[in-house]
Amino acid sequence: MTEAVSAAIGTGGRGAGRVRGRTGAWMRGQGFWLALMSPVLLFLIVTQFWPLVDTSRISVFDYQPTRSPDSTFVGVQNYVDLFVNDRRFWIITRNSFLWMLGSTAVQVVVGTAGALVLNMNLRLRGLWRGLMMVPWVTPVVVVAIIWRWMFDGGENGLVNYYLGQAGLLSDPLVWLSSDVWVWPVVLLASTWKGTPFVILLVLAGLQSLPGELIESARVDGAGAFKRFRYVVLPHLRPTLAVTTLIALVTVWFKFELIWALTTGGPAFATTILPIYVFTQAFRDFNFGMAGAVATIAMLTLLTVVGVLGLLTRLRKEGSS
Amino acid sequence: MSDVRVRRAVASVAGRYSAVLALMLFLLLPAIWLVLSSLRPNREIFTSMPSWSFLGLTLDNYEWALSERGMGMVQLLATTLFVCAATAVLTAVFAMLAGYGLARYQGVGARAAVVILLLAQMIQGPMILIPWYSVTAQLGLLNTRTVLILIYQTITLPAAVWLMSSFFRRIPQELEEAAAIDGAGRLRTLAQVVLPIAMPGVAAVTMYAFILAWNDYQYALTLTSSRTTKTVQVGIAQVMESLGATNWGGIMASGVLAIVPVVIVFALVQKTLISGLTAGAVKG
Repeated sequence: MTEAVSAAIGTGGRGAGRVRGRTGAWMRGQGFWLALMSPVLLFLIVTQFWPLVDTSRISVFDYQPTRSPDSTFVGVQNYVDLFVNDRRFWIITRNSFLWMLGSTAVQVVVGTAGALVLNMNLRLRGLWRGLMMVPWVTPVVVVAIIWRWMFDGGENGLVNYYLGQAGLLSDPLVWLSSDVWVWPVVLLASTWKGTPFVILLVLAGLQSLPGELIESARVDGAGAFKRFRYVVLPHLRPTLAVTTLIALVTVWFKFELIWALTTGGPAFATTILPIYVFTQAFRDFNFGMAGAVATIAMLTLLTVVGVLGLLTRLRKEGSS
Repeated sequence: MSDVRVRRAVASVAGRYSAVLALMLFLLLPAIWLVLSSLRPNREIFTSMPSWSFLGLTLDNYEWALSERGMGMVQLLATTLFVCAATAVLTAVFAMLAGYGLARYQGVGARAAVVILLLAQMIQGPMILIPWYSVTAQLGLLNTRTVLILIYQTITLPAAVWLMSSFFRRIPQELEEAAAIDGAGRLRTLAQVVLPIAMPGVAAVTMYAFILAWNDYQYALTLTSSRTTKTVQVGIAQVMESLGATNWGGIMASGVLAIVPVVIVFALVQKTLISGLTAGAVKG
């Protein structure tokens, strides 16, 4: 009782000291860790979160800095223009889904297969695992050089030449100038660039799979396919979900690979929403419209991620 | 009986190695084709059918790539090396502090910090470029190396903090408690006890930041174009557009030169980096 009273009097009597003491104690406790983190967190909020908000803000303005420094509020006019008046918009949206889902799916499938291969008992496994990262470190412009050169439209282009030799092609195909044939090239190049990282992540998932599980399945007489389907795949599911998410986001915002390969062409055949943001903003300097496209691009990504998340959750509940 | 078993074992080994061969051919052949083509005389490149021969190779294309009248790779590489090295060092310092904080912080908003980092990895490129362009234009920072170093932090920091914290979490906290009992302050503990142990991780994250920065094209494309600020990728892409198909040999030689620095950097830290990347992803 007396202790409590004297403590109360004591602290009451030294108000300023109490505050300093508390901050000091906080800094000696959890506050120190927060102080270490805060520069980075503040930086990211100012340089990424604020620009994101600002981008959607200008989407309701008519803002074309090369014409006039002022912006005027136009409400949803930019969105209406896109949905109703812009014939390219729906083609670009279709391309976007083709690219997002196609490239991600191919990367995850090829990457999983690659990881299964590199998880086998091999000599020089470390060497293979290091070498497979070459495409990952190759800058996109160089990736573009490589694939443009391999799919060169002349008859001596590597792919044309061998397809011709095999009798599959009578005339050289001008791959990058065809609205249809440009897609396999773009998807192949993005698979080449993106697969190593997927392999890396899936390999990590595979390494946490206990060998006895596979062994006991083998003893039970399960063939390679059944072992994969009923033992390996269920174990990999969380890894694959994370991997798919990472691949999806990368494929969406790293539009630079398409840009370096085709600049979105021929015409708009390989333009996706993020590229359209870029051309609207930095070719036409129509910042308001670009903001609207960017907002739609972000919402598209969130929708796809949300649907995928829902599907995996349903899957999980269904299986458990 | 044993004959069957031997035959089956041989078939399994053959199967395994042909699978690896197929994978490696897909991942490496395009790069090998680039290197081989870059060593072929330019006039041969279009006129003759594809050749995998090692005969008649020349360094002429590299001479063109490096010379000031050709691609000017010396200047481009110098700019890019400077920007990426500065990015990496800045990222390493701040990610080290923040990663340590993230690994140990358990107070209010610990989850919020993680969410901010994860979301920051999703807010990229076109989502932030327009305000970045407007603001840096107002500040007179367009076409400077500074703006690249700053915007590259948005690529590198979220992942770097995440990686650093996973390296710090592996260090037993008893070491820090022992240092505290000995009367060492927390910053001193970090500098003298924790950092020496975490050094391989710090080095790997630094190099990772370097690789990520080296791989950027869209930010450099939007924010820089002058002779002394443009990066390797912007420089090569510009020449590729203006020259078109006339000097593929030289362009390919430049491409090879643009890969060499990142391959070296990656080879240096490969082991730690791969283990860090995979550990972080599996937990996340």
